[in-house]
Amino acid sequence: MASKKEEPQSPKQCVGPDYRPEKQKPTATVSTEVDFENVHTLAQTPQLIALLTMIRDKNTDRADFIFYSNRIIRLLVEEGLNHLPVVEHTVTTPVGRTYAGVMFQGKICGVSIMRAGEAMEQGLRDCCRSVRIGKILIQRDEETSLPKLFYDKLPEDIAERWVLLLDPMFATGGSAAMAVEVLKSRGVPEDRILFLNLIASPEGVTTFCKKFPQLRVITAFIDQGLDEKNYIVPGLGDFGDRFYTM
Amino acid sequence: MANTLSTRAHYSPPWADVSIIGIAGSSGSGKSTLSHAIVSKLNLPWVVILSMDSFYKTLDAEGSKRAFNNEYDFDSPDAIDFDVLVDRLRDLKAGRRAEIPIYSFAKHAREIETTSIYSPHVLILEGIFALYDPRVLQLLDMKIFCEADADTCLSRRILRDVEERGRDIEGCIKQWFAFVKPNFERYVEPQRKVADIIVPRGVENRVAITMVIQYIERKLFEKSKAHRAELKKLGQSSEDDPLSEKVLLLEQTSQLRGMNTIIQDIDTSAEDFIFYFDRLATLLVEHAMNNIYFRETTVVTPVGSKYHGLAAIGETSAVVILRAGSVFECGLKRVLPDCRTGRLLIQSNLRTGEPELHYLKLPENINTHDSVLILDPQMSSGGAALMAVQVLRDHGVEEERIVFVTYFAGKLALNRLTKVFPSVKVVVCSVVADFEERWIEKRYFGC
Repeated sequence: MASKKEEPQSPKQCVGPDYRPEKQKPTATVSTEVDFENVHTLAQTPQLIALLTMIRDKNTDRADFIFYSNRIIRLLVEEGLNHLPVVEHTVTTPVGRTYAGVMFQGKICGVSIMRAGEAMEQGLRDCCRSVRIGKILIQRDEETSLPKLFYDKLPEDIAERWVLLLDPMFATGGSAAMAVEVLKSRGVPEDRILFLNLIASPEGVTTFCKKFPQLRVITAFIDQGLDEKNYIVPGLGDFGDRFYTM
Repeated sequence: MANTLSTRAHYSPPWADVSIIGIAGSSGSGKSTLSHAIVSKLNLPWVVILSMDSFYKTLDAEGSKRAFNNEYDFDSPDAIDFDVLVDRLRDLKAGRRAEIPIYSFAKHAREIETTSIYSPHVLILEGIFALYDPRVLQLLDMKIFCEADADTCLSRRILRDVEERGRDIEGCIKQWFAFVKPNFERYVEPQRKVADIIVPRGVENRVAITMVIQYIERKLFEKSKAHRAELKKLGQSSEDDPLSEKVLLLEQTSQLRGMNTIIQDIDTSAEDFIFYFDRLATLLVEHAMNNIYFRETTVVTPVGSKYHGLAAIGETSAVVILRAGSVFECGLKRVLPDCRTGRLLIQSNLRTGEPELHYLKLPENINTHDSVLILDPQMSSGGAALMAVQVLRDHGVEEERIVFVTYFAGKLALNRLTKVFPSVKVVVCSVVADFEERWIEKRYFGC
């Protein structure tokens, strides 16, 4: 690795609430900025950074890994749901005051890319109780080393729904791109797909957004890059293994 | 700093400047019966009787030996640790928590444990020397001297000591003539001169008891009026002020507005109400957690790279203001499943609207926790919030470490709280009209 110093570095900044002076805020590595309108990164709050630190640490045990990733996933889902349409709706409160609020509009469903994406289903259910969830199994073909679709089971009326596509690690985006192609072939318009992930790579985001400019990506953090094995760096290792089997 | 000090408003909780009544009199003169009669007639929560027996000095080996032979003079002022008594009374007068020693007559020593007294409405100090020490006298609001015939006193004392303190009759009589009687003449009786009222015949003296009760009630009423007036004044000066930067409003996203709509709709089912409220409470607690303290840390990820991140410093605990605050507990447990949680019950007096503290149980060493979240879904007048923060301050929790989490708050209440405690952070979902009636808890619990 002669080109080490040319490797991109993630930005560092002081993180903390506005009322605290800069010098009282600790410094941390924060998400890399990317130049795509449809990429939404969660606010880099100290609590989010601390949660990410927890799940990135190779010494964190499985119980903690599951708990802390679930907390981030719930925040991701909450942010994702903000991109769904609402209509004005005024109600009367129990104390007789009127409240000019909004009502959720449109049906949704989740689609998880097996198996790591299934780890995000709990977080989705925490926010949307009876949400329908489809599944897609994509594996790397050992001969061609390209992603290959092995299985899918999706709601029949998926074309009329907003789709929250779930996969925690967004590395090259190969599987996600294939999943999007599957969804599009079932009649889901690109602009009704929200791709929710915990950690993304700048490379993955760039290829993906050029390919699907209408689709929205919601992520907690965009990392520094990919290593030679296409793992996200610094990343958190294999999410599925750490969540399910390690 | 000077600026903070000058703009800080003053709030004095209703338990500061507690009314202390001293009741002195000869042994067996009926002090303790009279104290209990006053308590039951007052019919108020948190009226505390403090017996001076708790403040006996721990005896050395020699003194202890004499005590067991009934030769130690317990009826002399020297047997009482007035320094500790005065300290504790001053703490209580200042509204602070006081640890009261427990004296064991079996061991003639203080137990390791203590009883704590905090925020009483009225404190009755009862003991033969309640009016003896000039420092104590300065702290008393009313000084009573109980009087009874000497033979009545002696017979009562024999009955009590034999039945309750495991002495024999001979020993009691020996003590009476060796110590009690001479001490009465030397030290106890002269206290009559400093008393405000002298009550002969103890509990039988209804007129005297009624007088005492009326005096206390009037005093409490004046204090309650002053407390309410002070709360009101806190509001007037801050009505038009902009919200402090320590008031952190959730970002009004479309999901948040959608959830708010469902939560506030009178036609929402109980099931939906609870589901959406829990979801929103989780967001509020997550948001509150951005205001705790973090330190820098570097971790190694499974791919062998380093990540420069953050880790929370120390422990975060929570305090729930009952009943309403417990609607936040589901959200709290989703974020901090093993969070130590204290509870305090504050109820507004139906007649006057004055908030009153009824129950209090806090985690031990709460003063050592790095952050404490106070949970209460609605801030109407801000009275309960002020009281809860004051309770934590009295237990040694620094203002900077407190994060108040609420769903609805009036602007006036927010300004009151941040004027009095400028370093407290307030995380709030929506700002609503002032003095909105509390209804979240009714919807959540269905009653």
